[in-house]
Amino acid sequence: MAAPAVVCRGVVKRFHHYEHRTTSLREFFIRTVLRRPIHVRRAQFTLRGLDLRVARGESVALIGSNGSGKSTALRLMAGIYQPSEGVIETRGALAAVIELGAGFHPELTGAENAELYASVMGLSRAEVAARFPEIVAFADIGDFINEPVKYYSSGMQARLAFAVAVCVRPDILLLDEVLAVGDQAFRERCLERLRAFRAGGGTMIVVSHDFETVRELCPRAVWMHHGLVRMDGEFGAVFEAYRAEHG
Amino acid sequence: MGVIARESSVVRVNAAGRSTPLSDVWRYRGMLRSLVVRNLKVKYQRSALGFVWTFLNPLLTVGILAAVFSRVVRIPIPHYWAFLVSGYFTWNFTQQMLSTGTYVIAEHTGLRRSVAFPNEVLVLSAAVSRLLEFAIELAFVLLALVLLHHHGVPASFALLPLLVVLQVVLAVGLVMPIATVSVFYSDVQHALPIALMMLFYVSPVFYPAALVPAGLQGLYFLNPLAGLLTLFHVVLYEGRFPAPALLAGTGAGAAVLFALGYVVFNRYKALFAEVV
Repeated sequence: MAAPAVVCRGVVKRFHHYEHRTTSLREFFIRTVLRRPIHVRRAQFTLRGLDLRVARGESVALIGSNGSGKSTALRLMAGIYQPSEGVIETRGALAAVIELGAGFHPELTGAENAELYASVMGLSRAEVAARFPEIVAFADIGDFINEPVKYYSSGMQARLAFAVAVCVRPDILLLDEVLAVGDQAFRERCLERLRAFRAGGGTMIVVSHDFETVRELCPRAVWMHHGLVRMDGEFGAVFEAYRAEHG
Repeated sequence: MGVIARESSVVRVNAAGRSTPLSDVWRYRGMLRSLVVRNLKVKYQRSALGFVWTFLNPLLTVGILAAVFSRVVRIPIPHYWAFLVSGYFTWNFTQQMLSTGTYVIAEHTGLRRSVAFPNEVLVLSAAVSRLLEFAIELAFVLLALVLLHHHGVPASFALLPLLVVLQVVLAVGLVMPIATVSVFYSDVQHALPIALMMLFYVSPVFYPAALVPAGLQGLYFLNPLAGLLTLFHVVLYEGRFPAPALLAGTGAGAAVLFALGYVVFNRYKALFAEVV
């Protein structure tokens, strides 16, 4: 069997709520002098030991209620967060589409932002130049591509961000609630693109509450509940069980 | 403040093989370039005078310092203006780099929450964009020194690239811990201007280090900027080659600070995406 694209073994993620996020040094000194513990952070478990194995070419949907750890799991796989415990292995180039367009700079044009985004995703200058026409064509936002992003509607921003992510041609694509963007025509094109990505052997992990769409894209579903895998298997069966509990 | 993960690891196998901090930065050179271009574009695109502003600020400061310290408080140095410009732009570079440290991580929150990339690239991009501006400033300084002070090109100018490397290594070494602490404590941005003001007076910016009493020289040169600025004075203003000990000492100081700064940065960088 070929090496899996993504493996999570016993992944634990604790977040520390910095109760005073803008903690001041004054407070730090007061606590030090008064010998009060400076550990004002409270640990909160988001993942309690995630085990997941995704084979190359597989498409998996992560489902579960809000706060169950789906997005955290994606960010861990993307390398945005580091696990508190456990091992994560990914094989191949990886692109994550999380918070579409969050990294865009409002003063730069769409074209400039697209180039920046693609290079942040690890493309070389030559690769960015080569894929650029494809990105522009896929985003299909007309002359707006040369306008600063601050004049964009949220839909246009999302289209551009999505276009960059798919045109980076990753081996592994992580999608977090991004299928609900754009108009009907653009969604259809996104889905088309994702189907082609699957057909080409790409690995995909999708977080979505749009069950009708993910059902079509992902034969396998993983139901996450309170930071653990509750059920893992064929999409229909997992979804039925999830629905039975959540109505 | 930080929690270091136990028994955890992230293994990424890419076409380029396993990643290490150094290979990461190399792999992300395209990103580094894009960020530098973006920094400069955003800074200059809607300003009619553009770079003039960048140059005007230190130029006016140099003008006022030159007037005060050659006419009022007389520092006994021939061509005082030449002495001043030899070191002032390096001081200006360092000061602006340190200020950048207070916001460089927070500024990229959106990007960092949606894409994984080495945080080092953010610090490096700030350094490189600032370095490009410094290079232009330095060209003017060299021109003025050659035409009006030395009336020729001293051989010591050949050492300039080495001095600039030291300047960058030192600035990046100092900015990494500042950037790290800034993520957790907003106090840094209040404390830094005070620290910079004090640093200005205890560094040989508007007076030569030689004026410091012999008994205090040992203490004085613990400030890494003292060595760096003196090197610039010797090489640019005096047009001489510096004592090897000064060069070696400053180089060692910069290397140690860089290593310490990187250790701090490296230890806490995994938390940046969670906190800011």
